[in-house]
This record gives sequence, structure tokens and C-alpha cells, in this order.
Amino acid sequence: MSQEYSSVELVGDETVKHFTMAVLVAALTAALSQISIPLPGSLPPFSLQPFGMFFAGLLLGPLWGGLALALYILVGVAGVPVFSNGNAGLGYVLVGQGTGGFLVGFLAGAVVAGAIVHRDIDPRDLSTVSVLVQVVGLAAALVVVYAIGVPWLSAVTGLPLVRAATVMLPYVPFDVVKLGIAVAIVEGGYLATR
Amino acid sequence: MLTYQSGATALHRLDPRGKLLVQFGLAIAVVAHPTVPWLVGATLLGLAALAAARLSPLTVFRAYWVVFAVLAVAPLLAGVALGPPWFRVDPALDSLRAVARVVPILFVSAAYLRTTSVRETRAAVQRVVPGKPGQLLGVGMALVVRLFPLVLSDVREVRDAIRARGGERRSPWERARVLVVRSLDRTLARSDRLGVALRARCFAWNPTLPALAFEGRDYPVLALGLALTLSPLL
Repeated sequence: MSQEYSSVELVGDETVKHFTMAVLVAALTAALSQISIPLPGSLPPFSLQPFGMFFAGLLLGPLWGGLALALYILVGVAGVPVFSNGNAGLGYVLVGQGTGGFLVGFLAGAVVAGAIVHRDIDPRDLSTVSVLVQVVGLAAALVVVYAIGVPWLSAVTGLPLVRAATVMLPYVPFDVVKLGIAVAIVEGGYLATR
Repeated sequence: MLTYQSGATALHRLDPRGKLLVQFGLAIAVVAHPTVPWLVGATLLGLAALAAARLSPLTVFRAYWVVFAVLAVAPLLAGVALGPPWFRVDPALDSLRAVARVVPILFVSAAYLRTTSVRETRAAVQRVVPGKPGQLLGVGMALVVRLFPLVLSDVREVRDAIRARGGERRSPWERARVLVVRSLDRTLARSDRLGVALRARCFAWNPTLPALAFEGRDYPVLALGLALTLSPLL
């Protein structure tokens, strides 16, 4: 086993702070992927997975938010059962049940949301960001998720693009509700100390 | 659930970078060549990978049963028409052909999961992505693997606490808000503690990793992965 004995180059405090938050947001995204809230009737369960992407973008900005979602996907590729229903593996991301595009979309969405909300590589204080900018950032993230996820679903399942979009249409209102909840959490001051 | 099991099969001894490349290559190849001969060839390759990993196809079907159940619906959805004849066979067959491509990819992926430890994948990522980004990805993967069960336990605790206090009488949106706020709070507290712990332990850019080196047996696998990846250009 190779080891390095050269002089130690410490990681900077700011980098450690953003990095540990990215690690924990990745773990939270994985945990929320396993939990859903049942809805009445024949409605699909209320998945909590998109909150990982929302808070990666909101709390961490484009670079570190992207890292958080990249870590989430890589850990799943490595075999840890972090995807919905405890699935794992590169095959699940690439083809799976056709929803791999949404996983990749979460990564791109976190980068887009972070870029719009923070307008810089490093995250800024969320209390200085208007509600409108937060909503635009998260809405853009959702657009990116569907723009990647729906054609990917169509390619894997062989469904025509319009039909694949129709299959995913019922999930859109729920994602908009989740967007509202995420912004309400920020505006409610629950993240004020962060 | 498919997990890594230590062993001494040929696949266990292969370099993880070659195995990852074969998975990418196979996915690209079957999408680029949607023909029956390619599908048969890919399925045979998948079955060979499973045999080399000492893994039964039934085990894979059981592990990915939700995936296969969802995919089985796709041809039906593709064939349904909103007017006479109500069901069209050609689009359903197109979808069935597309869905069939998933099987060999999941076979090869399952063989990878069974024969490659998370630590090896982490080392592969860290070797493939150069410099500090690769190091952050590698260390980050190790930390997420370690912390995921704790965070999952936190989220489940919060969910159970909400339930114990009659939270199920609240609207789903209110439950989601409370669950996310409390889970986020615990997660960020863990992040603060992890940051302090890393700084206290002189978190540095000098990692110690398992050595990875391509050996003779890895080159045929690398060649196969490259050939599959580049097959759309041939």
C-alpha cells in the first residue's frame, strides 16, 4: 500500500465548512429518498427526494451543491442503497426504471438553483436573497430536472416523448408544492443560524 | 438488495475502473444498436458477468423487482390508444425492445456491485478525477457512506416522533414541512460537528489510498469497455 509522507497541506476552514455540509446534504438526500408520505386515494406517494436538491442549491451554491448531489449519485453507483426503494448501482442510474435522468437532473438542478440564488461560486447569506430569486432558482431547477428526466425516460422505455411527459405530469404539482415548502422553510427563519 | 461480498472470483480481482468502463460502454452500445443481434450479444455478456460473479439471474430479478415491474408497464402504456383500435401493437413492440435493453445492463451492474467494494469504487473515482476535486469526491464518498445510516436514523426518528404526537392528522404538506425542518436541523448540526472533528484531526489534502494498478488480466476488460463505448462510431 502506497503512503505519502511529504509535508501536510491542511484543507482551509471555509472549504471544510462547505465540504462537510455537502457531505451531510448528500446523506440527507439519500435518507429522504427512502421516506415518502402516503397521500389519500390513488395519488402517488409524496416523495421527499427533491428537498435534497433544493437545499443543496439554497444552502451550498452551485459548486458545493453540485458536489453534494454528485456524492449522492457516486455513493449509489458504488453500491450503497441510497436511491428510491433501496436501489443502487450504475445500471440503475443509466437505465434503471427509466428515472436515472431525474437523478442526473437533480445534480444539474442543484447547480442551476445555486447559481441563480447565490450568483457566485461561494454561497451567500440567504437572508439577503429575495423570495422571488429563491422561487426562480428552485423553479429553474425543476425545469432542468424535467428537461433531462423526461427525454431520458422516453429513451429507456421507448415511450414517445409526449407520452413520457404525460406519465410524469401528475408529479409536477407536487414538486411545485415542495418548492413552496422549501421557500417557506427558508423564509420561516429555520436556517437563520446557518 | 445486492451488496458486495468478498470472494476470489475473476471479477473480484479486476480493476474497478475497467469494470465501470464496461458498464458505460454496454449502455452506450445497446442504445446505439437497437437490433436483436446486439441485444442477444449484450444479454449473453450480462449472463457471463453474472456467472463470473457467482450470481444467479433470479437474485438480480429479485433485487431489482420494482424496476422490472415498472418497466413491464411501459410497453402497455406505449400501446394504449385513446380511440379504436385502443391498443396498437407496433409502439408496444418498440417499447418492449427498448425495455429489453435494460436487462443486460442491470446484469452487468449487479455483477459489479457483488464483486466491488465501496472502497474500491471510491479509489477508482479518486484516481480518475485528478487533483483536489478527486480527493474531495473520494473523501466525501467515504464520509457519506459512514453518515448515511445515521442521517437515515435521524429522519426516521423525526417521522416516528411526528406520528407519536398525532401528526398524521395534519395535512401531508404540514407533515412534510415539519419532517424536513427537523431533519435538516439535525443534519446541519452533524455537519458542524463533522467540520470541527475534521479540523481537529488536521484534515489534509494528503490521503492514503489502496494502490490501484492495471495488470495483465485488466487489459482485455479495458479493451472490451472501450470497444463497446466506441461502437456507435464503427
